Amino acid sequence: MSNSSAVAKAAAIIQNYDGPPVRIMEVCGTHTHDIFRLGIRQMLPENIRLISGPGCPVCVTPVGYIDEAVWLALEKGCTLCTFGDLIKVPGTEMSLAGARAKGARVDMVYSPIDAVEYAEAHPDEQVVFLAVGFETTTPASCVAVRKAKEKGLSNFSLLTANKTMDNAYLALKDAADAFLYPGHVSVLTGTDVYKHLRDDEGMSGVVCGFTGPEILTALALIVRGLEKGEPFFANAYPRVVKDEGSPDGRTLIADTMECIDTEWRGLGVIPQSGLKLRDKYADFDARKKFGIPPMEGRANPTCRCGDVLKGTIRPDQCPCFGKACVPEHPVGACMVSDEGACSAFYQYNID
Amino acid sequence: MCVGLPAKVTDLKDGVAVINANGAEREVSAEMIRDLAPGDYVMVHAGMAIAKIDGDDETQAEDIMNELEDLL
Amino acid sequence: MNETITLAHGSGGRQTNELIGSLFKKYFDNDLLTADDAAVLPRPEGRLSMSTDGFIVSPAEFPGGNIGKLSICGTVNDIACMGAKPLYLTCGFVIEEGFETARLERIVEAMAKTCKEVGVKIVAGDTKVAGRGQVDGVFITTTGIGVIPDDVNVGGACAKPGDCVIVSGDVGRHGCTILLERNEFKIKADVTSDCAPLSTAVDALMGVTHDLHVVRDATRGGVGTVLYEIADQANVGVTLNAADIPVDPTVQGVCDMLGLNPLYLACEGRLVIVAPAAYAEDLVAALRTSPYGKDAAVIGEITDTNPGKVVLNTEIGTRTILPLPGGELLPRIC
Repeated sequence: MSNSSAVAKAAAIIQNYDGPPVRIMEVCGTHTHDIFRLGIRQMLPENIRLISGPGCPVCVTPVGYIDEAVWLALEKGCTLCTFGDLIKVPGTEMSLAGARAKGARVDMVYSPIDAVEYAEAHPDEQVVFLAVGFETTTPASCVAVRKAKEKGLSNFSLLTANKTMDNAYLALKDAADAFLYPGHVSVLTGTDVYKHLRDDEGMSGVVCGFTGPEILTALALIVRGLEKGEPFFANAYPRVVKDEGSPDGRTLIADTMECIDTEWRGLGVIPQSGLKLRDKYADFDARKKFGIPPMEGRANPTCRCGDVLKGTIRPDQCPCFGKACVPEHPVGACMVSDEGACSAFYQYNID
Repeated sequence: MCVGLPAKVTDLKDGVAVINANGAEREVSAEMIRDLAPGDYVMVHAGMAIAKIDGDDETQAEDIMNELEDLL
Repeated sequence: MNETITLAHGSGGRQTNELIGSLFKKYFDNDLLTADDAAVLPRPEGRLSMSTDGFIVSPAEFPGGNIGKLSICGTVNDIACMGAKPLYLTCGFVIEEGFETARLERIVEAMAKTCKEVGVKIVAGDTKVAGRGQVDGVFITTTGIGVIPDDVNVGGACAKPGDCVIVSGDVGRHGCTILLERNEFKIKADVTSDCAPLSTAVDALMGVTHDLHVVRDATRGGVGTVLYEIADQANVGVTLNAADIPVDPTVQGVCDMLGLNPLYLACEGRLVIVAPAAYAEDLVAALRTSPYGKDAAVIGEITDTNPGKVVLNTEIGTRTILPLPGGELLPRIC
């Protein structure tokens, strides 16, 4: 283990756990990625099982969203600006990479704000930013829309699929005995939500950072909490997450976007768990601007990403896994993203 | 869901911060943190500074392990 | 000479001759390069190694090199990695109409300089000019021949359990340089390509022992891809120690920003060596005295467990698989 005695102590607590079998869900896709990257699953005793949750925005975005983006690019000739994460996600007919091969303009950006600058520099193109992400990512999209409005840009809009976590936790209530709560979402939300989940729903969990020492200390806290047997909450990422969260960030989002019911792949429609632009920014809403027709989106019927996201099956229990569905030719979104549970399972499977 | 980059703020002007991570520099929006100053460490995500960082992960681990029983 | 290359420069007439005379002959001149249809070469002793490679890179010039230097290093390194001494090269240019002549001269000059450093001769060449938009600036193809000493037998299939794995320097710098130069992600960082000819480094290794099992230059796909190729070819496992892999801190900073792994970023001047562990220290010492090997390090070993896989001992003392890199490198942000 690490040189640090604290980390060694945390690892010992985890490895010496000898209580009944427990399921711990890492809600956040970046946790999934880092837990695999750091080999943390391999050090767990048999009675601790980690489950990957739905916190990968690429994974929970329904197929219809990709179809909408492809339609904008191929039917309306829009330039799509997107995070690299979305490029290979399968739509009903094709992914963004497939659309690009058919001549669509698909530009990868680091930030939604870069997409605004791109639009400003290319006044002859209609630029649509694919706004996916949770509380962490949404503020940057809000800033982008505000900047576009300030600059009076008429060639920039968002295709929103932004989601919020608060109500999603409830949908996961029975999926695990304790949760590693997402560190960077908590930067925005603060920790009240978790105290309510503990007090009102009996849900336990710990806010967790993303380095090796942070994940191990959070897991050690969970093990101790489970041993005590009462619902618990702790913040194991206090150097970044404050109890009050970011009031300024929340105001930024609330002034720009409003809550809606939204569909999560696998989890169905969760009330008040999505965001759309407020009416004052209607000119920047790609759905309104281009009159996108309703798109149902058909996922491959053999794909069980939904069950994987709920934690009811392990990725390798899906009939497609490792056969029809591999990272090079993904059938479902969970095999696409480096943060997806199926991709992680496939790529890190040690004999 | 949210890759974060710890970085140091080296310059700040009109709501835009220049951040430096091991020599890699970029401009990011500083509009979400009111009292930011050059020299502060921040967590950066998708082109925004989303939080200040107090201290390193090893020290945090020590603090947590020392107070383990009180935290729950 | 015109300020830009025109279609006439590729027509085979007077302007083609002018281009050849004022540029290619000026820089590439040697006793074997003639105006005849093909080169006539003395018969070398021993087995030959031969390789060809096409080069397209955008931008054509970058910190630490340009497409010209790259085109010589690429083929020289491929030949050197078979344990061969590179002797002769040919080069074919496809130039976009309108390409700046001064840029072309810088590219040709860099090729000549690298050839001189390596001691290799360009013995034949070809120039075509394509219409605007048909190529991106300039494409170069080089082909090379070298001679292999009799007792040298290297190849991916020769890796054996117990062997050490060495890299000749920090990883991922070329890929990072190109990514920064394209400025798609608006990141600024002082990173220079590792583009370099490695025949001297291979000479230095040969000075220690001819019993090298694998020598590879890590290009597209980076060191991670090379290690997977070796694991597959020899049906062995590779175990790496994360803490021992040399990475320039700034390259790591750029990778952290974009969620990339430097092990998958291209190198253009880095060797991966697999050899009996007994030679590990001497091989690293020899590399460190060669021009491009000051950061050489042992990064892991070959195992009979986990065949076909690359396993990583992590910085927190756990073990995990290094994922097999696949396709287009996509930044991971959300």
